[in-house]
Amino acid sequence: MITRRGSMLAHLEEHDLIETGVGENDSGVMLASSELVVHRAIYQNSWALAVCHCHPPYAVALSLVQDEIIPVDSEGSYMLHRVPVLGAEHTIGSTEVAEILSEALKEYKIVMLRGHGCFAIGHMLEEAYQWCSTLEAAATIICHLRALGGDVKDYRKGADRFTNW
Amino acid sequence: MSLWIERWRRLIWGAEALWGAGVAHTTVSLGEGGRSVACIGPAGERKVLLAAIMNDGTRALARGGVGAAMGAKRLKAIVVSEEGKSSIAEPERFDFYRYESEKLLKASPLTAHGLPEFGTAALVNVLNAAGALPTRNYQQCSFEGAEAISGEALKERFVIGKRGCWGCPIACTRRTEVDGVRGEGPEYETIWALGADCGIDDLKAIVHANYLCNELGIDTISMGATIACAMELTERGLLPQGPRFGDAGMLLPLVEATALRRGLGDELAEGSARLSKRYGAPECSMQVKGLEMPAYDPRAMQAQGLAYATSNRGACHLRANMMGSTLLGLPKLVDRLNGSGQAGLLIELQNLNAALDSLVLCKFGHWALAEEHYSRLVSAVTGRRYEEAELLQIGERIWTLERLINLGRGFSKKDDTLPDRMLHDAAPCGPAEGKVVELEPMLAEYYRFRGWSKDGIPTERKLSELGLREYGRQLLPC
Repeated sequence: MITRRGSMLAHLEEHDLIETGVGENDSGVMLASSELVVHRAIYQNSWALAVCHCHPPYAVALSLVQDEIIPVDSEGSYMLHRVPVLGAEHTIGSTEVAEILSEALKEYKIVMLRGHGCFAIGHMLEEAYQWCSTLEAAATIICHLRALGGDVKDYRKGADRFTNW
Repeated sequence: MSLWIERWRRLIWGAEALWGAGVAHTTVSLGEGGRSVACIGPAGERKVLLAAIMNDGTRALARGGVGAAMGAKRLKAIVVSEEGKSSIAEPERFDFYRYESEKLLKASPLTAHGLPEFGTAALVNVLNAAGALPTRNYQQCSFEGAEAISGEALKERFVIGKRGCWGCPIACTRRTEVDGVRGEGPEYETIWALGADCGIDDLKAIVHANYLCNELGIDTISMGATIACAMELTERGLLPQGPRFGDAGMLLPLVEATALRRGLGDELAEGSARLSKRYGAPECSMQVKGLEMPAYDPRAMQAQGLAYATSNRGACHLRANMMGSTLLGLPKLVDRLNGSGQAGLLIELQNLNAALDSLVLCKFGHWALAEEHYSRLVSAVTGRRYEEAELLQIGERIWTLERLINLGRGFSKKDDTLPDRMLHDAAPCGPAEGKVVELEPMLAEYYRFRGWSKDGIPTERKLSELGLREYGRQLLPC
């Protein structure tokens, strides 16, 4: 199941959900999201039972200046630890993206595609969406911290280790 | 005889003097000097089909009659004696992952409060409120005496402390004392099997019976479920002078008689499937593939029915327990009265649990930790990088190999089923009132998601994917 190409994601209705093959094409591909090839690769190569992809603005902004996003807020630290940022020349619906993302999602539950958005996996859609939401909250806080300036009072033991996650 | 493993050398040692001894005496005798002992009690020696292997006194390898298998080989015990510490390939990285995992265990109310404070007995009230506490041999879905045998009641009346397995921060084991006798437990499954399933609300009697099962080496789930089966046979007038629902006074005598194969106990020792067939009412046995169902009524948790039906060793909650997603909201709450679409969740859990069993890791950790924690911890210990997907594929390989062995021994789709009561007798009360288990559509979905045929046979393509083609050739019937 994947969203219809061009559907308004904040206002999905029943006809915006398209069913098509996870390994083989059928007529459903005519209507499916342009990210179909990426979603398929993720399902085939990881343990994902659900995939959530969105374009969180703060996380996208950070992906343009960093190679990883390491949350500093509590929930982001507990739940995500480290979110890799991956780059690709063709960032929408390309086999290049399908390969690098599906590979990364074997080991992480959410990754960023530089300049584009996040891809998260979960046991169900609500869980995958939670990772996207947690990431954007974490990214928002990081951006605000930079605007505030000054030294961050890190409260976490071994915070420098998160880059090893 | 006993099998000694010392510095990785195996020695066969005569243990004739211990044949006939209870678990406690055997464990103390052989465990001198800090050795670890896995032994059988009198039940296993007599090849009671409900017999367990008891590890270090009170940890039971209970299900499936493994104690009887040891007894058939006249193997009384396995003793392991090792010195020194295990090595960890990347200790600093391991320490980081361990610290992060412990943070989550401490943050979860289940693993930080519920289990440490009440033990697994905390589930009695939870399952009862959900209308999923099987009562009187699965004839009802909730028990009027649940409060009296709840985790709260156990804590108030009999708990004197708690204990954990080595290194565990949860410490779910209850240390208990009753009438001056000290022991461990009972766990939720035991309280249910010897309590609600038998219509018994006498917690003291249940605690005593639990101690006796540990001492004699018996699976408490199968013991209670078989007694409950006998109770229903009595109720129907088929078993003359048999035990009756609610009669707590017969618990201890029946447990002892079963372990020693005396009188009716000799019949109970064969398990509920053979017992009920003997008395002409096979529908009274709540079992799948010969193994008695545990403490979750699948009419109120539909996907749990699928878990029981597809478990390779018979009805088992340890192979996969859908309570997490259907009752506890882990990772998110799903509709427990409609199992459609949950086969994928079940399969992932079965695969993960197979991997965790292989790693000898407690499943309670999964109530706080995710697959990523396990893969990272294993990578740091071994020095070999394991991805989450790979860990799950290892579990899938284990599961599929077990399936091939079962198929080779004559099991088939017809055995992936549930007792008639679950399929045809609607839940009489509670949130699931009127529901039966809608197994067929869930099973079809399960086979498809497993990559098996419509008859539940792993396909060539799936076997190739898992590197099990050769096993398929050897094990699958032509």
